[in-house]
Amino acid sequence: MTRPATVRTRVPHLLMAAGMLYFLVPLLWIVIAATKNQADLLSSPAMWFGDEFSLFDNLVRLFREDGGVYGDWLLNTAVYSGGSAVGATVLASLAGYGLARFSFWGKRFFETALLGMIMVPATALVLPTYLILSNVGIVNTMWAVILPSLLSPFGTYLVRVYVAESIPVELLDAARLDQASELRIFWQVVVPNIRPVFVTVFLFTLVATWNNYFLPLVMLSDADLFPLTVGLTTWFNTAQQEAGTRVLFDLVVTGALLAIVPLVIAFVLLQRFWRSGAAAGALR
Amino acid sequence: MRRRRMTDHPVAGALFVLPFFLVVVAFLVVPLGYAFWLSLSSKSLALGEQFTGFGNYTRAFTDPVLLDGFLRVLVFGAVQVPLMLGIALVGALTLDAVTTRFAIAFRLIAFMPYAVPAVLGALMWGFLYSRTFGPFADLPTAFGGAPADFFSADLLLVSLGNIVTWAWTGYNMIVLYSALQGVPREMYEAALIDGASQVQIAVRVKVPAIRQAIALAAIFSVIGTMQFFVEPYVMSRFAPQISAGYTPNLYAYNQAFAYSDFHYSAAISFALGFVVFVAAYAFVLSTRKRRSS
Amino acid sequence: MLGINRSRTLVSVLTVAGLLAATACGGDSGGSDGGPVRVSVWAWYPEFKGVVDAFNASHDDIQVDWTNVGTGPDQYAKLKTAFTAGTGAPDVAMVEFQQIPTFLILDALVDMGQYGAGADEDLYAEWAWQQATDGDKVFAIPVDGGPMALMYRKDLFDQHRIPVPTTWDEYATAAEKMKAVDPDAYIASFGSDGGWLNGLMWQAGCRPYGYSITEARDKVKIDLTHPDCEKVIEFYGDLVERDLMATDPFFTADAAAALDSGKYWTWAAAGWTPGYVAGSLKNTAGKWAVAPMPQWEKGADEHGDWGGSTFTVTKQADNPEAATVVARELFGKSEEAWDIGLNKAFLYPLVKDVAADPAFTGKAYEFFNGQKVNEIFVPVSEKLGDFDYTPFQDFVFGDLLDRCAEATSGQREWDTVLDATQKNVVDYARKQGFTVE
Repeated sequence: MTRPATVRTRVPHLLMAAGMLYFLVPLLWIVIAATKNQADLLSSPAMWFGDEFSLFDNLVRLFREDGGVYGDWLLNTAVYSGGSAVGATVLASLAGYGLARFSFWGKRFFETALLGMIMVPATALVLPTYLILSNVGIVNTMWAVILPSLLSPFGTYLVRVYVAESIPVELLDAARLDQASELRIFWQVVVPNIRPVFVTVFLFTLVATWNNYFLPLVMLSDADLFPLTVGLTTWFNTAQQEAGTRVLFDLVVTGALLAIVPLVIAFVLLQRFWRSGAAAGALR
Repeated sequence: MRRRRMTDHPVAGALFVLPFFLVVVAFLVVPLGYAFWLSLSSKSLALGEQFTGFGNYTRAFTDPVLLDGFLRVLVFGAVQVPLMLGIALVGALTLDAVTTRFAIAFRLIAFMPYAVPAVLGALMWGFLYSRTFGPFADLPTAFGGAPADFFSADLLLVSLGNIVTWAWTGYNMIVLYSALQGVPREMYEAALIDGASQVQIAVRVKVPAIRQAIALAAIFSVIGTMQFFVEPYVMSRFAPQISAGYTPNLYAYNQAFAYSDFHYSAAISFALGFVVFVAAYAFVLSTRKRRSS
Repeated sequence: MLGINRSRTLVSVLTVAGLLAATACGGDSGGSDGGPVRVSVWAWYPEFKGVVDAFNASHDDIQVDWTNVGTGPDQYAKLKTAFTAGTGAPDVAMVEFQQIPTFLILDALVDMGQYGAGADEDLYAEWAWQQATDGDKVFAIPVDGGPMALMYRKDLFDQHRIPVPTTWDEYATAAEKMKAVDPDAYIASFGSDGGWLNGLMWQAGCRPYGYSITEARDKVKIDLTHPDCEKVIEFYGDLVERDLMATDPFFTADAAAALDSGKYWTWAAAGWTPGYVAGSLKNTAGKWAVAPMPQWEKGADEHGDWGGSTFTVTKQADNPEAATVVARELFGKSEEAWDIGLNKAFLYPLVKDVAADPAFTGKAYEFFNGQKVNEIFVPVSEKLGDFDYTPFQDFVFGDLLDRCAEATSGQREWDTVLDATQKNVVDYARKQGFTVE
């Protein structure tokens, strides 16, 4: 990756500065808003701090509200997204490799169908999946969120493309001459070579599950099982609709900030993997 | 002579694919089949369930609420997708040509919104748009105008478009930027020596070279637009102007979860999926054709 | 359920059996082995944990497992999916009055009359009992309601010598005077809330719906274009058009800030509002007062209700008899429960004795500068008459509010709102197999 670093004109930098402002302002707002209590939130200027610095107070209350359920949500979100991401990555890697380097009955059809699968709207699947899973008896359990999230046609597609580009058949043939089993070849030859796309698929499914709202909303009815997205929305609705006494806007804001921070950090640190994956996806 | 690319090892190959295949069957094929089955019958509140064949589909394609919602999403996409991809492309080309620390910072920051869950992003913007919490509503007053009402009928689509643009521009920029990194330098080395400007190279060489990536980004954006749901769903709590059938997907949701008509809801989802599918494939075909001619 | 058994076998085979073992411990409902019967409850009342604890402490044979699965529409969505799936619903569910027929037609509710719930008739406000029952059949046990009255900024009305309106005509006049004093202020907000609008129509003598599942499952009355209904929409539409009334949705941060900053001068509110406003408005505490609702005719004494909820027993209850006990006694006559309900959750009690108790009627509210506001709300609840809902009230409110939204944004004339809603609702009802009267 060698690029001339000679262009230092003003216009591109101005454009980029404007872009940064646009992308940052909402995030800055939520950081500032999380330091305010309910009264300051309603009365102080939006982009500046309130009379009191209530961040720590908000955090303490956040983890105490409803018997500390926010901690559960945080943990649930990590378990759901971690579990789905690991599972989906393993499945996608096996399948992507199988599709890229083997021929078997029905393969062509399956590959063509793969593209169609990417386009199936997830929301259309949630309801029938719920009706089916409820008869198996696993709705309102963590499996109802994790199992459907294992499905990642895009991940399989990415791995297939990547293997086709980066693992020559000769390498596999050489291993086979050494009497290595297919599974061992996969583990010792293929996996080390597809590590970047491995991470990419992992990240994609991790984010997809971390951000998922509709699936857990429909599948779960027990507040202890909610992920952050569903839980915080429940609080927001309580604050917004309930003709009750709890006005929770400050906690919703603080909780949202805390839900975003880990992902933002992970993104910034792992960005090169996104790019390699995105490039693989864009090649075809 | 074509290089051999495949291994004739049918059993092993099939076994590698099997686990994924099972998940596909369990969580895609079976639910889809079940939804399709549901869509072929109707359940009216008073009369109960009866088989109606494609009756739900005739109803869907003549339902003015659904058609209005569909039209709204089309108009939305026709403006928002080109705008977003245009900004993303300019950003990606800038990143490809400028490699200062500032540019790296820009790249990182532009990507951040993608890390924000769509529900929380919509909630956040709901606050940002409000008169009480947000910094934007009073901006026009600085120029002597009336405070902006981002939830009004006039501005609502713009407000929603901004949320989507904010969340997805950076992501698309990274996709296009990665594609640009794959463009071999030799393709424009000569032009550089001839004194062509960066802008000329960008327009004449780089953009055509990553046409495929742009098309792919466009397809995914169009699919996303057709399935528009979370943002209007969340925003409806702030904006009464978001009606039950504001977008097709919101309509399908309300049919199922508010009106208990799971059969019609399934039919709407299918009809929508079908249209998206046809549109996406037509788009793929048209870009292929243009390339080969 | 159509085809569900077929897919069930398929998925059962496909789903790894070991995963299922992990959930086997999820089974509930004891009782058979001699322990107490466990009854699951879905409800979103604030401070409800204390109420559940009080019930469990006072019952040995029945224990309640409470879950808050979400507010209003969120919980209903879950109930509807659970009834479609045939499994997953709780034994007892909190349901608002206007939703009772909706769940009746889904065949979701148990008649508690067969377990003796009819004995509670005299306990509850008449209008509430009428909505919760159908003849001898008891489908719901009332808990809280929302008799309506007018909240207003007493300090501002006094300061500018604007008389507190006793009729809606005077209300419009007050709105004009208020606008002359403060051009940025509004008399109130037209809040895009189905229950609120319904309460106003109720007060105007409008009875747009009629339904009785015991008489005829498939007959429904829709009469939204009655003059008594039209006058409400036209009156409020006129205020909105003349910019005397704002259009913020209720309970948003914007609406709360507007109430708390002098932007809104009144709010036609309900018996539960004192709790909500005292909890969320700080700047204007002590400046508000409550007056009876303005009347359509001078000297009349007509009233409406906004909001209120009940406990129902679902058809999926393992032990409907025990569930009925829970529905009747979670609040019912429980002093502990009502202590929490009144003083922490700020519910308006539909149990007549609780509402009439001096501890409630005589309570002075700091937020209302010491006014005993319940002296106004309680008689309202006593005077409320019958009111019916449709078995598809979500659709009706949804369509009505969508048409109102069109009118507020200038895409529709206010006097066509109810015509359009009437037409859409009748079309919908016919498609759903009803005969419409």
